[in-house]
This record gives sequence, C-alpha cells and structure tokens, in this order.
Amino acid sequence: MFGSEWFRLILGLLIVLGFASLNALFLVWLERKVAGHIQLRPGPMEVGPHGLLQTIMDAVKLMGKELILPAKADKRLFFLAPVLVFMPVLVGFLVLPFGPSMIIRDMNLGVLLVFAFSTFTVLAILAGGWASNNKYALLGAVRSVAQNVAYEIPLLLAVMSVVLMVNSLSFSEIVRSQKTIWFIFVQPVAGLIYLISATAETNRAPFDIPEAESELVAGFHTEYSGMGFGLFFLAEYTNMFIVCAVATSLFFGGWNGLFGISLGIPGVFWFLFKTYMLIFILMWVRWTFPRVRFDQLMNFSWKVMIPISLANLVVTAIVVKLI
Amino acid sequence: MAEQDSTQEYRRIYTLNLGPQHPSTHGVLRILLDLDGEYIVKADPVIGYGHRGHEKMGENRQYKQFLPNASRLDYLSGMIFNHGFVLAVEKLAGIEVPERAKYIRVIASELNRISSHLLWFGTYIMDLGGFTPFLYAFDDREQILDILDSVSGSRLTYSYCRFGGVTRDVDSKFIEMTRAFLKRMGTRWADYDDLVTKNIIFIHRTRDVGIIDPELARQYGVTGPNLRACGVAFDVRRSEPYEVYDRLDFEVPTGSRGDALDRYNVRFKEMQQSCRIIEQALDQLPEGDFLTKKVPQKLSPPKGEVYAAFESSRGLSAFYLVSDGSPGPYRCHIRVPSFGNLNVLNEVLPRTLVADAISILGSIDVVIPEIDR
Amino acid sequence: MKVKELEAIMLEKFPDAPLRRDETAMTGALWSIAVPVSGIRDVAKAFGSAGFFLESITALDFEDTFELVYHFNCYEPKSRLVVRMLCGHDQVPPSICDIFRGAGWLEREVHDFFGISFSGNTDMRPLLLPEDADYHPLRKTFGKVSAYHKREEIYG
Repeated sequence: MFGSEWFRLILGLLIVLGFASLNALFLVWLERKVAGHIQLRPGPMEVGPHGLLQTIMDAVKLMGKELILPAKADKRLFFLAPVLVFMPVLVGFLVLPFGPSMIIRDMNLGVLLVFAFSTFTVLAILAGGWASNNKYALLGAVRSVAQNVAYEIPLLLAVMSVVLMVNSLSFSEIVRSQKTIWFIFVQPVAGLIYLISATAETNRAPFDIPEAESELVAGFHTEYSGMGFGLFFLAEYTNMFIVCAVATSLFFGGWNGLFGISLGIPGVFWFLFKTYMLIFILMWVRWTFPRVRFDQLMNFSWKVMIPISLANLVVTAIVVKLI
Repeated sequence: MAEQDSTQEYRRIYTLNLGPQHPSTHGVLRILLDLDGEYIVKADPVIGYGHRGHEKMGENRQYKQFLPNASRLDYLSGMIFNHGFVLAVEKLAGIEVPERAKYIRVIASELNRISSHLLWFGTYIMDLGGFTPFLYAFDDREQILDILDSVSGSRLTYSYCRFGGVTRDVDSKFIEMTRAFLKRMGTRWADYDDLVTKNIIFIHRTRDVGIIDPELARQYGVTGPNLRACGVAFDVRRSEPYEVYDRLDFEVPTGSRGDALDRYNVRFKEMQQSCRIIEQALDQLPEGDFLTKKVPQKLSPPKGEVYAAFESSRGLSAFYLVSDGSPGPYRCHIRVPSFGNLNVLNEVLPRTLVADAISILGSIDVVIPEIDR
Repeated sequence: MKVKELEAIMLEKFPDAPLRRDETAMTGALWSIAVPVSGIRDVAKAFGSAGFFLESITALDFEDTFELVYHFNCYEPKSRLVVRMLCGHDQVPPSICDIFRGAGWLEREVHDFFGISFSGNTDMRPLLLPEDADYHPLRKTFGKVSAYHKREEIYG
C-alpha cells in the first residue's frame, strides 16, 4: 500500500492543505510587515516575536465573531460564496512543481487545470456581491467580473507564448526546459504582461477596485463579517501564491538555479525563494501606487495589453516555426 | 434596484447614498447620488449632521468665552480661526497689538496652514488608493504639532491668541525647532514630487477631473486654493493684508485649468510659500511685548459691527460680529469657505463617474464641521 | 474702479437710501447701503454684472424687525460692499438664487435659523437642522437669550 498512487495522492492532499493554510497565515503577516516598513513604521510587534502570531490571533478573533446575515440576502449563496472562493484555489496546488520530483500529480494538462480552477473565484465574487443585497457590494462584484474577464485574456495569451515554445502544457516539462536559461530572458514581454495581468486577476492594487476601501466601503465583501470575511481574505493570499508560483514555473525557471548553476541547494528552496520574491514585489507595488480608475483599467486591458500579447504570440509562433 | 413604474418601463437610474459614514467623505457628509450605471446624474449633498450651534453659543457668551469655540469650527485650521476671531474683536474694540505678537501669530498661523495642507495631501492620496504618502505626511505634521504644542499646550484646537497678543512668548527652543522643521521640509518636497506628483496613475486620476471654471466659482462664492486653481489670484492676505503680511514677500500660486491636478499643485506650492513666509517672519521677529496689558478682563467693545476676513487653509473666512456694548456679541456669524466649496459640487458632479466623485471631493478639501458650525 | 461705479449706480437707483461710508474699512466694508425689500434683486443684478461674488447672507433679529445683511466682494483689493435690508417678522423677501446660484444654500440657512422664507427659491428644505425641524434657533425668542434689542439701540 505504501508507495502506491493513492497513498501519494492522500499524503499530497494533506500536505497541500497544511501548506496552503500556513502559507496564507504567513503571507498576511508578511503583508502587514512590508506595509509597515514601507510606511516607516514597524508593523505588528506585540503578539509573538515581531508579531508572528498576529494572524493566528486575528483568525481566532474572526472565528469568534457573529456571522451576520443581512436582511433579504440570499442565504445559501451568501454562505456559499466564501467557500466557493477558497476551495478551487487549493486545486491549483496539486500540479505545482515544487521540486524535480515533488509534484503531487504530474498532469500533462497542468497549466490548463490551474487557470480553469482559478477562474472560479470570479463566480464566487459575483455570488457574494449579489447575495448581499447591497448596492455597494453589487457594484464591487460587477466591477470585479468585468476586470477579471478583461485581464484573463492577456494572461492566457502570455502563457500560450511559453507553451508554444515548450510544446507542452505540463508544468514539469516546462520547468525542465528552463535548465539552461529562464524564459523571462527569452520572453520578457510575455513575462511582464503575465505579472501585470496576475495583479489584476488577484484584485491587488493598483487594480483593487472591487475592494476599493475608500470608494465602495469594502466592495463585494462589505456585508461579510467574521469567518466569511476571513475566508475571502485568506483566499486572496492563497490565490496570490498560486499566481506567483505559476509565474516562477513558467518564467523564472521553477526549481532550476540560475543558468543551470544550482549551488547544491535543493530545487524546492529555489522554487519557494523565487515565488516569495515575486509575492514581495506584488506587495511592494501595492503600497506604492494609487488605484487606477475603472475605465482606465479596462482601456488598458483591451487597448494595450491584448494587442501586445497577441503580437507577442504571433512573433513567438513565427520564430518557433522557423527554428 | 431597477424600479418599475406603473407603465412597466425599466428605469435605469438608481439612488446611491454616499452615506454619513464613509471612509472618504471628510467628516459627516451625505451625498445622495442618482446614478446611471457608473455615471452620476444628480448629486445632492445633505449636511447638518455636525451642527453644534456655534452661532447661538456666540450670542450667549462673553467674547473671551468664545475663544475655544473658534478653533473648533475648522479644527484643521484651528490656529488660523482662533487668530481670525481675535482679529475681529480687536478691530471692534480698537485694541493695539505689539509688533512681536503680530509676527508670532503669523508664524503660528502659517505653521497651521502647512499642517492642514499636509493632512489634506495624505488623505487625498489615501482616497485614491495610495496608502503610503499618508504616513509620510503625518510624520511631517507631527513635527508641526510638536512645535505648536510646546508654545500653546494643544495639538489641534488652539486658544493661543488673546485679545491684544498671544498667551505666552516664544523662546529660543521654539525658534530652533521651527528652523529645523523648515530645513527638513526643504528636502521633503523632492520626495513628495517623486512619489506622488510625477506618478502617472495619480496624474491620470486627477487631470481634467472636476473642472471648475471661474464663472462657476464666482456664482457659488468659491474661494481659496479651489479658486486659485481656476486662474484667479485672489488671496485675502494680498487683497486685505492683516497683521504683517504686507511686509512679507510671498507668491500666490495659481493654476490654469481648474481641475483636480491644478488644485493639488496650488496647495503644494502654497505649502512651500508658507515655509518662505515663516522664514522671513523668523528673521524679522522683533523684541518687545507679546501681549498688550491694557485689555480689560470683561471686554465691552463699543456698539457697532465688524466683518473681519482672513485666509484660512480652505479660503476666505470671516467673523461678523455685532456688538451692543455688552461683554458678549449680539450676533456672531461665521463665514466659512467650505460652504461655497461644497455647494459648487451640485454642478460639478453630474456627468462624472463615481470614482471621480471621490477624487473631486478630496481635491475640494472640505471640512464638514466648518459648514455645519 | 468697480466700487466707485457701483456706488454711482446705487445712488442712481436708490437716491434716498442711506449709504454709510467707511474709508478705512475698519468694519470690513467700504460702504454699506440700506435698500428696500423690493430692490434687492436689482442690486444683486447690478453686482452680478459687475463681476462681484456673494460672500455671505445673514440676518439679525431685533425686537421690531429682521435685518438681512448681504456681503459682496470682488477679486480686487479691499472691495467688500454690504447691502442691508430691513424685513418685517412676517415679510417674505425675494430670492436672488437665480442671479447668484450659491445664494440657494445661503438662503436655506437663513430660513433654518430665522424662519425667513424667500420667494422664488424652490428648495427651502432645512439645510443644517433636521428635516422635520419646525423651530428657528437663532431667533431671540428661542432658547437661552442674553439680549434682545430694538435696531436703533445698536445702530442709532
């Protein structure tokens, strides 16, 4: 029984759940520390050494709060939305290449799986905004749907450029072909487009209009309290990890070292280091730039990002055909 | 939300309440917006949530008992309003003020103006989504608050000016702290420029947003940086100089288009001009008394009226006092600039986006307790 | 100079209206003129076309009359002018909110505090008081009052 496919799968699922939860907790703490230091203040310092236990205490506090259901809200959808936003993201963990033989399920359609499931978050946000029976929430949800749909396209086009080069949708295959040179040096345009679209997909600033605190109170999660809000919050950070992990695998070499030099460090540490570096950059951008206005955001996607990523795809196709 | 009237017609316009509790309305302001999708069709500001009855209080108090009230009208320019009220009573009663006191008051008022603009700057960028400049601005503002705290004892609402001078003299520590602050601010302008003024996202959020043309400003009595951004160089410190402003050399910055970006630039330059004023005042500060001793405790000015105008951070403010010879005013009316500045939104907000409404509201810089009194 | 031109226009329109001059502008205005209730609209039109803006509208409550005080100013130095209007306790003066659009809110505030209605102003909802307020706080017959005079006791 040990060593069988089922055992590997169940062990993998348990590790994924544990890792995803720990990761979300860690990222919330990291965000607050990064925000604090950029703003010339230390961030949480009270709870635990340098505030490390802050997130756990916040989660405990949120679990103790009353789950308020607004009057005339759609009860089933209202409670389904946070669950729906968190669960599909976990599926993405199944195919991420943490190390040379550390993938839970090495599917040959890995890339497709990750993006198919990450799109579920849009549905969940719309459900949450609609079910709240609140104009602010609905405005936020509608904006989020429009933004996600608009930025999904350049995201996928950028990914397609890489897939064309490797001729495979499997993550481990893509990472293996980056042994000598990372794809970010070969496809810088696609990498940049991917990172910008990823920021928009995860509703992070400067594209965080759906949760614009100053404009719509709290956007689509205005009416959520207690653990419902907590789940939306944790899902955002898990989504951020997935998106950065995919960026690492597709553009930054996954578990490979730089130009084939791995300095004897196991691949999993390279992978995690690169992923967390990208997450740090996402956080850095959040605390530096103000918010883009909604119509400017949509214009940017449809009029700038999509033509550039299309052009990039065509050029890649031509080059691949000729070589 | 889509309302259907008796003819079963589908009405697209819905009402959104930018309610009294909202992170970006500065104070308790309620704007009833009629929206068509994301565009505003009609905007109706509802005020009065902070009405405390200052004008009635003014009638039932002696002049010196109204001193704390003056700061609490526009609490961000508390020193300037305190100064203005004292000026009004001095004009009414014919009290002479020593030179040193005049200079001290001007320095304190200009420091207050800088702190008010810094707070506006931080909260405006925060409304637009950039959370970091808020903390940088408050770091600078803390320095000002420490300076004013050392001489007056309060950080936000001051009763530092008295009829005939100021409460306490400034010592060398105050002058040192102020000079150190001015030196530090000289290096900060470049930082703020890089972080905010040259930021392409910020420029896109503020250029051509909320344009007020000079005719509209005249109709509604808009004054202050909002008016100067339209191109009209009207500043009470220039047109009706009070205290020692006629001896100090400063520019009145203006804009050209009257949009939010111009308002931002005008306030930014005003902060720099205020630094210039403070430096000159510190250089010219004479020795002498800080309070004239001939003012009686129970001040009963002769019968008559006075309308004393001064330039607060938001525009032209004035105290209109009517005296009947008794120790308290018969009528105490306060003209506040935010009244007209908010009123003009009735015509500026329609045909803009909701997201722009937040940007416009922030750039106008209203303080609601001033309007509500 | 705009102020001199307006003075000439005012003396022409209202030859026997009392005009009080204050050259040093200690009281804040260069001159103040008292006009009858029916004349305020002409005055406002004259000031409007001269490029003045309306600074404030306020009222004073005396035992025998209300007095409405309009402060006008323009963007030139030291150009504040005051227009005063004696208005009985039950009189309804005309509104100037179509000449100066900002007057709408100012008149609403005066109505809130004193109960003076302005004919021609369609929106007389309370501005600073609650929507259902039926009292007028700044009247000297409301609440705690320290002094209540006749007009001549102050202005002679």
